[in-house]
Amino acid sequence: MTSDSRSFFALDLGSATTTASLIGRIDGRWRLVGSLAVPSAIPVDTVTAHVAARIAAADPALARTLDVADPNDASGRPRLTARSGPPPVIAVLAASEATRILLSDAATDAGWRVVGASLERDDVLALLGLALGPPIDMILAGTADPAPSAERDRAATLDALIAAVIDRRPDATVVLSGRLALAAIGGRPGGAEVLFAPADDPAGTVRRWRRGPVGNDRPEPLVAFLERVRERPSDAATAVARTTESLAAVLGLRVEVIDIGMSAGRRVAASPTDRADPSTSGHARARSVAIREAALVPQPLDDVAVDEVMAWLTTPLDRVRLRDRLRELGRVPWGEADGGGAELRAAALRAALARLVAATADRFPSDPPDLVVATGGSAATLPGPAIALAIADTVRRPGASGLALDHARLLGPLGTIEDDDERRRLVEDLADDLLVPLGSVVTPAGIRAGRSAGRLTVRAGTGVTALDLVPGGLQLVDLPPGHVATAEFDFRDPVRLGAHGRRFAIEAGGGLGGLLIDLRDVPLHLPDRLEHRRELLAAWQRALWVGFDG
Amino acid sequence: MTDGLDLVATRPLVVHDPVVRLPFEIGDRALVDIGVAVEQGAALAVRMREVTAGPAGQRRRGRAVRSGSIEDGSARSGSWSGAQDGAAGERLFELGGGWWVSRGTPDEELTAPVAGVVRSIRPGSGLEFVASGVAVAGTAATGGPVRGRLEAIDARDGDLRAGAIDVARAGAILVVGGRVDAEAITRARAMGVRGLVVGGMSEKVLHDLAASERRQLASVHRPPPFAVVVLHGPLRRPLDGPVRTILEAAAGREVAIVADPPMLLLGEHGGSLPQIDPLAVWVTQGPLAGRSGRWAGLAGSRRFRAGVQLEAGFVLFPDGSRAAVPLGDLERHA
Repeated sequence: MTSDSRSFFALDLGSATTTASLIGRIDGRWRLVGSLAVPSAIPVDTVTAHVAARIAAADPALARTLDVADPNDASGRPRLTARSGPPPVIAVLAASEATRILLSDAATDAGWRVVGASLERDDVLALLGLALGPPIDMILAGTADPAPSAERDRAATLDALIAAVIDRRPDATVVLSGRLALAAIGGRPGGAEVLFAPADDPAGTVRRWRRGPVGNDRPEPLVAFLERVRERPSDAATAVARTTESLAAVLGLRVEVIDIGMSAGRRVAASPTDRADPSTSGHARARSVAIREAALVPQPLDDVAVDEVMAWLTTPLDRVRLRDRLRELGRVPWGEADGGGAELRAAALRAALARLVAATADRFPSDPPDLVVATGGSAATLPGPAIALAIADTVRRPGASGLALDHARLLGPLGTIEDDDERRRLVEDLADDLLVPLGSVVTPAGIRAGRSAGRLTVRAGTGVTALDLVPGGLQLVDLPPGHVATAEFDFRDPVRLGAHGRRFAIEAGGGLGGLLIDLRDVPLHLPDRLEHRRELLAAWQRALWVGFDG
Repeated sequence: MTDGLDLVATRPLVVHDPVVRLPFEIGDRALVDIGVAVEQGAALAVRMREVTAGPAGQRRRGRAVRSGSIEDGSARSGSWSGAQDGAAGERLFELGGGWWVSRGTPDEELTAPVAGVVRSIRPGSGLEFVASGVAVAGTAATGGPVRGRLEAIDARDGDLRAGAIDVARAGAILVVGGRVDAEAITRARAMGVRGLVVGGMSEKVLHDLAASERRQLASVHRPPPFAVVVLHGPLRRPLDGPVRTILEAAAGREVAIVADPPMLLLGEHGGSLPQIDPLAVWVTQGPLAGRSGRWAGLAGSRRFRAGVQLEAGFVLFPDGSRAAVPLGDLERHA
């Protein structure tokens, strides 16, 4: 892709928006030349033609150099395409409730939307009806292994049911696990694709499933197995994780990417490997977790999910009306992105971030990373400072982090380059264009209540700012993008800020939101009374979000 | 003038010969074959109620073991067992050398909502049907399929008042404009109205209606089926101008509501399709929602309420005013 071309399009095809970016080779480096985000209903070729036309209008000579002078030919340029969409649906049919729950958890962790039934709780008609239902993409059926006696009695019925399902749905993919898989080895009727779920999980979470002797695949845990079966070509989730690795390696920083999309929320963390080890130096490893419930508008949209959004809204709205507005946001995610729609998105983003953090807390380091990058459709239209504040409100860890936005949605498309070295070279070239700096957030923990927690002196190229640290407050120091400042903290009492102490000097980068000194509680405590809560949230947002009138 | 109009999302005004899915429960029995052309109202299937599952009787594979059974080696799950000893039903699965079958009481007939052709039949899952003619697509529907003559109570805008529905509307599918509340729905059902076509309906009302419809269907003395199709979403929004024109042209004709996908089927004589100005756009979201106008070119990236920067286009409204509207808030009909 990058070896023999003057330019290419990076396409992020999301559930809500399509983003097309032209990457061109200028003075021997790959640069982001221009990008355009439009509702996903617009054909991709239309978007690329408009990007090319705008570049041709702005700089005809550059457009000729990059081979996009004729917008009608733009569709012929090479493309890197990342796609995201709603998760596929899996029907879990189990011999017992315990097994249904275990299998459902495994499928959920692998990014599937799960519906399930068991012979312990439901009758055979319910199980058959579920497997034959129209929204089902795959069926996962199983027993424990070894199966307890109650399951052994039901295993034959479950086996017969699966045979019937395959008979009726020859196009179905069926995964068998546990004793059911072992019993079925040796053949299955019909034309359906039958997979055998694996075992050998080192973490012990799916130790009960044993892999059948199918093909040459290596044994792997059920979650990874189901994840692999779920993956689609150009899958944005996998691609974002790859680019995060490249970004961490190129910047030499611990990077965390937070992606709240319409179909799921995802958290990816990558750290550069040991520089002292020449065999791994310059590389990074990523941990990536997707949580379906952390979608901007989760499905099902139950009362709990509606109340979670309501807790972050600054304008009063009853539950029925809020549910309708969230439903409309899910149906037309590109609609009403301004005014009240922006406030609704910001509240839904906070609720989704809170769910994502809660669901992944035990799988990610409690120390803050060097850089937090926001990406995904939910961040596409909100002003940068509003995104910075949403992250500061919900992802609360004592320490300091830089904040940035993947404004052109490039993390996905770049991650579709499978060759690590090629991708890393491209990310190295694009590092300055890839991310818009939102600023830095410093969050000390353990501050005692009182009139003053101490003093802060910020030394930047533009001058020195001194301010009193007010416990429970959110203080903003103007620090534009591209500027670096040293923030010297002198606390009255010891606090936790990476380490335990009273005096700290932190180097902080500027951004659209500036330097945010967050002296609020960790975790954040908000007033129980809705009116007080709304006033406080509105005051914080007004301080950072220009144009916010909630 | 048309510059940038292709960045406005397109929604088909009508769908031609749509494929609709009529759901089957386990035990429902198809009365037609794949590929058969049927007229409106023709019986497609018999619905069963109080369906249970049980063994059809012990037998060996491929051999009849009981008088009256027509089991043979070709029997498969989903086929119909024709045993004459009371064990008739849909074959479910084979266990211990015999078939388990569904048993139920024949209930109502599922009839063709409009004329069309049966495309596929999946026992226990559903029947796909190519509906002849045109249909107006909705965003949500509940109940159905139902048929009735199309009548407009208020095809302009505003909410439907319960008092506007009387017994003269029995058997009709009513076009009720912008939004409808629970009280008006209750009265419509009581008056024998078969269905409602509405611009917007709160999800709670739709959810409550679906639950009520399920309870009614489970009762011994059930009322005639009732359905609602929502054309524009959960928020209050008047019907688009061209949609209104199509519905007004189809008034008095026999139409149908189906839920999967949510649609108002107008059939082969669906009325005349209006000529659409190629520059016409509708504002679907935001403070100008519901208004229509003419596209007047791209406005570029602009700052809107709450400081949000969005790609926008200029729209000329009938009153002569001109406004920059975010592209995401606009829609045009194909």
